[in-house]
Amino acid sequence: MNLETILTAVLVVGIVWGGVVFFLSRAIKYERTKVEKD
Amino acid sequence: MKQSEFFTSRWGLILSTLGIAVGTGNIWRFSRVVAQNGGGSFLIPWVIFLLIWSVPLIIAEFAIGKSTRLAPIGAIAKTAGSKFGWMGAFITFVSTAIMFYYSVVTGWCIRYLFSAISGDLFNVSNHINYWNDFSSSNLPIIFHFIAMLFCAIIVYRGIVNGVEKINRIFVSSLLIILVILLIRSVTLPNASEGLKYFFTPDWNYLLEYKVWLNALTQNAWDTGAGWGLILTYAIYMKKKEDISLNAALIGFGNNSVSLIAGMMIFSTVFALGGADAMDQISQSGPANTGITFIYLPLLFSKMSGSIIINTIFAILFFIALSFAAITSLISMIELATRTLIDFGIVRKKAIVVISVSGFLLGLPSAIDINFLINQDWVWGVGLILSGFFIAFSIIKYGVNKFRDEIINGLGSDIKIGRWYNYIIRFVVPLQAVVLLLWWLISSTTWDPEWWNPFHAENLGTCLAQWFVVLSLFILTNKFLVKYTFKNIV
Repeated sequence: MNLETILTAVLVVGIVWGGVVFFLSRAIKYERTKVEKD
Repeated sequence: MKQSEFFTSRWGLILSTLGIAVGTGNIWRFSRVVAQNGGGSFLIPWVIFLLIWSVPLIIAEFAIGKSTRLAPIGAIAKTAGSKFGWMGAFITFVSTAIMFYYSVVTGWCIRYLFSAISGDLFNVSNHINYWNDFSSSNLPIIFHFIAMLFCAIIVYRGIVNGVEKINRIFVSSLLIILVILLIRSVTLPNASEGLKYFFTPDWNYLLEYKVWLNALTQNAWDTGAGWGLILTYAIYMKKKEDISLNAALIGFGNNSVSLIAGMMIFSTVFALGGADAMDQISQSGPANTGITFIYLPLLFSKMSGSIIINTIFAILFFIALSFAAITSLISMIELATRTLIDFGIVRKKAIVVISVSGFLLGLPSAIDINFLINQDWVWGVGLILSGFFIAFSIIKYGVNKFRDEIINGLGSDIKIGRWYNYIIRFVVPLQAVVLLLWWLISSTTWDPEWWNPFHAENLGTCLAQWFVVLSLFILTNKFLVKYTFKNIV
């Protein structure tokens, strides 16, 4: 695989799966905070 | 009408909404569109439109549903003003018209799952004939009935015991199965060729407007943004539930599933498909059936020397496909049901009415695939108009006020900035107008009789059916809005 392919894969997968990881971790964090508050 | 039932937790809501978004379009449509639009080149605009079409509209749907606690007719009338209830009716109609034939498609998936389990699928000498024999028999009607009945029972059981419970099981299982299939397919010999094609950009393709427009259409299709379905599930969100974070998670989660499915299909096809692999992916047959029902069963039979292992992987694939279809169909039934509930009909009666009429009105698609292709075309494009109507209703309400009071209101975990105003005010409407204009102009070139409303896929049939539906709803707007609001206490 050439550099272009690898960079595109990293960019696309990074943004899409990275987005899931980022938002999921935030959601878990806020849920924990809510449970502690309750 | 007091809202009495809510999703039990954030995770129940997210999994259920992901169930709407993840459908057969993620699995078969995505791969075909990638193949037709230059592989890796397509993925770049596809990610951009996730950010400027899907996520903003998913946020909008969550916010409208949560704040109004009404199905699209009442929700749009309450947000944009009672003169615009017809827009909500159009959104409802488009998703319901899709439900009629989507139940048939769900039936196909269930039928192929049964075929994989019984081993029939691998005793076939010619998969094209197997598909043709099936689609021309009465079996699609029987499986359409099974799909509609199963999903209606789930909706009948209510939001918590039906919709949420089944989505928790099905969506979680679907994700696990897709990961298992992905691991198997990327470890096949020569699978790297498929991945290489999937991720290698051909920069020339990025200069073609069609690639950008297909990327937008694919996002509109597979995230469920603008369908009114997420709006309907948002009715059952708790008051203290967040909007923006959940919406972003749905958008990114949905496109992640598409990526997994794409990597799985490209790896499998390049590893086992031989020289005609690309033709097989990009020429998918009627209603995109080719790759899923004709070509992939053939590939599964070549996956290994063991028929048991091949059968297990084929079963897993068709379970994933059936689960994806069922969870989306459930949300379409819920949307239509909730609309009748808003009119004052009790839930259980509404479900019976919707499922019986859904079965009857889906029959033409089950009997004649050309009818299905026509409906898929007319209402699939109609979704762009639905997305535009949702953006319009927020513009009418006041984007800044909507963002401050509703999106960033009670329960919000993250605050949305002013960028959202520009996206809803300018970017979403511009995308909808450009896409519709492109489609109007280009559709006159591929059919010399583009004006003929009796052709399956042309401009005439679309405009004729839209005209009838829109006229009907505009004329009955007062009645629709009055009856919806009459039942609100």
